[in-house]
Amino acid sequence: MESKNKRFQQGFHTAGIFLALVVVYLVLAVPFRVMTVIPGFTEIRPVQLLKPVYGVFFGIPGCFAFAVGNLIGDLLGDSLRWSSIAGFAANFAGPFVFWLFWSRVSKTPFALRTGGDLLKQLAATVASGAVEALLITPVVMLVYADVDAGLFAATVFLNGTVFPLLLGIPLMILMREEFGFRPCANRHAPL
Amino acid sequence: MNKLQANLCLICVTLCWSTEVIIFSCIPDGILPFATTVITSGIASVILLACFFKRIRQEMARSGKKLLLRCLLLGVVKAAYDILFLYGLNYFDVSTGAFTFCITVVVLPVILLTMKRDVSKKTWASVALVLIGIICALGGTLVNAQFLGLLIMFIGCTVRAFFIVKLNEYAKEHDPMTLSTWISIISTVLAFAIWVVLQPSTFAAIPWSGTVIASFFIYAYFIVAFAQTLNIFAQKRATAAGATIIYSLEIVFSLIWSYVLPESLIDRMTPSPYHVIGALFIVAGSLIEIVEFKSRRVRIGIKE
Repeated sequence: MESKNKRFQQGFHTAGIFLALVVVYLVLAVPFRVMTVIPGFTEIRPVQLLKPVYGVFFGIPGCFAFAVGNLIGDLLGDSLRWSSIAGFAANFAGPFVFWLFWSRVSKTPFALRTGGDLLKQLAATVASGAVEALLITPVVMLVYADVDAGLFAATVFLNGTVFPLLLGIPLMILMREEFGFRPCANRHAPL
Repeated sequence: MNKLQANLCLICVTLCWSTEVIIFSCIPDGILPFATTVITSGIASVILLACFFKRIRQEMARSGKKLLLRCLLLGVVKAAYDILFLYGLNYFDVSTGAFTFCITVVVLPVILLTMKRDVSKKTWASVALVLIGIICALGGTLVNAQFLGLLIMFIGCTVRAFFIVKLNEYAKEHDPMTLSTWISIISTVLAFAIWVVLQPSTFAAIPWSGTVIASFFIYAYFIVAFAQTLNIFAQKRATAAGATIIYSLEIVFSLIWSYVLPESLIDRMTPSPYHVIGALFIVAGSLIEIVEFKSRRVRIGIKE
């Protein structure tokens, strides 16, 4: 009974964090709808800075929050289309790559204190951006033939790499070093 | 946060500041800069207060009046150099005017010397390179520029240098989050006082639209709440001179944006060869400041 209560409390706590993460995502994402690159499809998305943060510090709930946040953003921005399904998968996969990298691939725990750590983060970011572009672009090409696939893929990849690198890394440094956030992505954490 | 991390944070802060031009392009020209400051600093103050109320209250209980007075000084000095830059930039075109901001890099070490503080040889070397960069970029326009414009920008840069020195000093003593929040609050109040005088209808005079509101929020998140707070955290670990040299990269980022981003977001311009050479010198100056020349063994020995 006690363990059931504990599991319920844990579930409640995780749901609370999930909701808070979705709200933070939306608060950051919605204003940027005015900075459109391809109307209805892509805009400048600094909210992508949250991608490594959600993956590394909040694990799988963070990955889901990122994907759900993006879906709700599409809904609010009147850009919910068939490609949003691929968008959901890609926006889950983006932070998941960071979680997977720091918990399964890297032999050292998450840190951004040396040049080596930063190179690892760079590699994870490029992989994450590439995975996102590879997941969304073919679907958009299939469903919307009139969209410039090259520009679309480049925008998705650049959004998925530039912001996590330039804004995400400093934010993670701040969270880890000054606010004491502990990375969820540990090598021995359960899947 | 170690020195490498602090430098990375300062580069990020500079990057955020350089995007100001992009955000401003979404705000109609008729809106006064003071109105933008009131609204964006106001939003940032509310966000910071809501998220870190407990932390701010604890720091206020510890430092109280002393902290408030220091934040008031910083707020007033910041408002002063903002106004000077606003009027000084009228004498230059956009690209040339942006280079004049870098004069701060040259003025700051001199201020440090007058305050009897040490400035390293490495910093002087960086300053020399940045100065060459500014002279290259300004080129002929420096000779033709009106004396009054240059004078206003020089005074503005001197006031800004003083602000950076004081911010660096206070960041090492107080909680950066509390400093950032109070600076935002004081900036809001001061800018509002000026706004009321210049435009008594204040909020009613703004042509509200979705784009304008979104732009205010973007500015508040990234330029005020995020960049300003990150800057103060980084200042805790950095030197004032080092931070200022990294700030000079702002013009380099601005040149990149104007060349790379689509016309729907920014007025595109092709930088002149003088601007490119000047920017390269500024990058070289910043690299000298950022790169740690100590051996790996010494670096590992430093307590982080």
